[in-house]
Amino acid sequence: MTRRRVQHWRWLGLFAAVASAWGMNADGARAQTAKTPDATIPDFGQPLRKQKSDRKSKAKDDGKAAAQPAERAADRPAPAQGKEAVEADVSTRTIAVTSAFTGTEIVVFGSVVNSRQSSPEAGTYDVIVVLEGLEAPLLVRRKTNVAGLWINTDAVSFETAPSYYAIASTRPIEEIADDAFLKRQGIGLEYVRLAPAAQSAAETKAGDLKSFKDAIVRLKQKEGLFIKQDYAVIFIGKSLFRSSITLPANVPVGPLTARVFLFREGELLSTFQSKVRLERSGIELWLYRAAMDHPLYYGLGAVLVALLAGLLASMPFRRKPAT
Amino acid sequence: MHIYLPIAEMSANVLLFLGMGCAVGFLSGLFGVGGGFLMTPLLIFSGIPSAVAVGTGAAQIVASSVSGAIAQYRRNNVDIKMAVVLLAGGVVGSVIGVKMVRILSLAGHFDLFVALAYVTFLGVIGALMLIESVQAIQSARSGTPRAGRRPGQHSWVHGLPFKMRFHRSKLYISAIPPMLIGAFVGFLGAIMGAGGGFIMVPAMIYLLRVPTNVVVGTSLFQIVFVAAATTVMQAVENFSVDIVLALLLIVSGVIGAQYGAAAGARLKNEQLRLLLAALVLLVAARIGWDLVTTPAELFSLTTTLGAPG
Repeated sequence: MTRRRVQHWRWLGLFAAVASAWGMNADGARAQTAKTPDATIPDFGQPLRKQKSDRKSKAKDDGKAAAQPAERAADRPAPAQGKEAVEADVSTRTIAVTSAFTGTEIVVFGSVVNSRQSSPEAGTYDVIVVLEGLEAPLLVRRKTNVAGLWINTDAVSFETAPSYYAIASTRPIEEIADDAFLKRQGIGLEYVRLAPAAQSAAETKAGDLKSFKDAIVRLKQKEGLFIKQDYAVIFIGKSLFRSSITLPANVPVGPLTARVFLFREGELLSTFQSKVRLERSGIELWLYRAAMDHPLYYGLGAVLVALLAGLLASMPFRRKPAT
Repeated sequence: MHIYLPIAEMSANVLLFLGMGCAVGFLSGLFGVGGGFLMTPLLIFSGIPSAVAVGTGAAQIVASSVSGAIAQYRRNNVDIKMAVVLLAGGVVGSVIGVKMVRILSLAGHFDLFVALAYVTFLGVIGALMLIESVQAIQSARSGTPRAGRRPGQHSWVHGLPFKMRFHRSKLYISAIPPMLIGAFVGFLGAIMGAGGGFIMVPAMIYLLRVPTNVVVGTSLFQIVFVAAATTVMQAVENFSVDIVLALLLIVSGVIGAQYGAAAGARLKNEQLRLLLAALVLLVAARIGWDLVTTPAELFSLTTTLGAPG
């Protein structure tokens, strides 16, 4: 709900900005806004979102679509400047996992439309960037000592847990937004969406369940798959910000979602979403598909390759005296 | 220098795994063993998921055994009939073993089972070898000849039905014991990612009383086939054969084995066995240590998505 409303505000703000830049003698700050190619702003975003907004305005009224929001913006006791909004994108939309893949870095960058920030250091705005991997079922096991041996005895299965989860923010997220919001949006390592399977949840005590959830976060952090970086989103201009997020080599292959939240004084102004495709390519893809789709042929091929490699590698040594 | 392993789903240091292959290859060449029992634990220690370590180990054994098997065959050291009987049992054992890997993986006890299997078998075999080699060295020093194999010696093994004549081994025994030994070794091979030569050879010598010169060739010969069958089954059942990792280990392993074999020629047989026994016990102790000491992390994660089916 929140996001849709915010999106709406964004459009209102946009039109207000256009209208004001058009009609009035714009001051310096607004002139800057006007210079940004307003008409192309939706193209910066994720195509899906653009379609969504298009559809929405079409559904309303084809003819009045342009006029209506402008009117509404006029009704609103809007400040002289337009409402702030965030436009963002990721440096790489598609990441290929090839045999040379050793992890990579994704730069999430964006700008605050209608920024009122006087300098990059002013700290008027807070930005939280969340990069999340595919949700996948996860099984957590706990060892206990049975007759001197450490054996997996308890297990809790989670229906969904993000395979990868990274947060970067301008300040510690607790200072940016209140707990209720963070919890609702699943922002923060303690609010990562971990849904225990109904059966497991019923069988496990509440306190115990928390220790299993903590274990997920702890282990994933150790593997570099859960990342939290305070102060990792940096403003490099009055409106431009960037943040680089590490994707380790062991990141599970699958699509990633980047979410960007813009705050001012604890108030959410705007959000943005973008997708990153992380997929196998080249020989990695070929081998993986072969192993998963045609395991019999893959197995036979593996034996053949092993036989040939074993014979070929020992060939140069054939003439040496036998032992 | 790194390479991404498609099935293990991790980026691996090429030099580390080449070095590992070389080292294990050297030892296996030195002692004349397959090296699977060293390779699999090393792979697991270096972060390869244990199911993948075991599956990939099978492919590596195919490669490391094939050239030796062909050489032994050329020297007429293979009892084909015996190998076929062992193999028949071996494939059955392997089928059961691969299924066990799947069942145990799902139950979360695979790592434990692998560790227990290693501690038990390496511990027992290592201890036996240690005792035997110490005795051999002692008797070599004192100059008293040890009692060799006496032909015509019989045990309960020889009283079983389905007798077959194994010409090359000069044996007329029941087909049941070799089949059972084959099945047992095949089962362990599938679970431990080892060829099982370290069990097969003593079993053939002491239980079946196969002449020593035929034992190694026959064992190697059937290991190639059992390991090949295991590789295919691990790929089909558990999707756990990483061919990229296998290739790294194969190439370095074969080269290391040549140098190991050359070095082994300079050592005395008893000394070699003593060293091997020490090595086997060391591996067993290392794995056993992890089972009884309090682990730093009690929790472990398993992604249940991944392998389809």
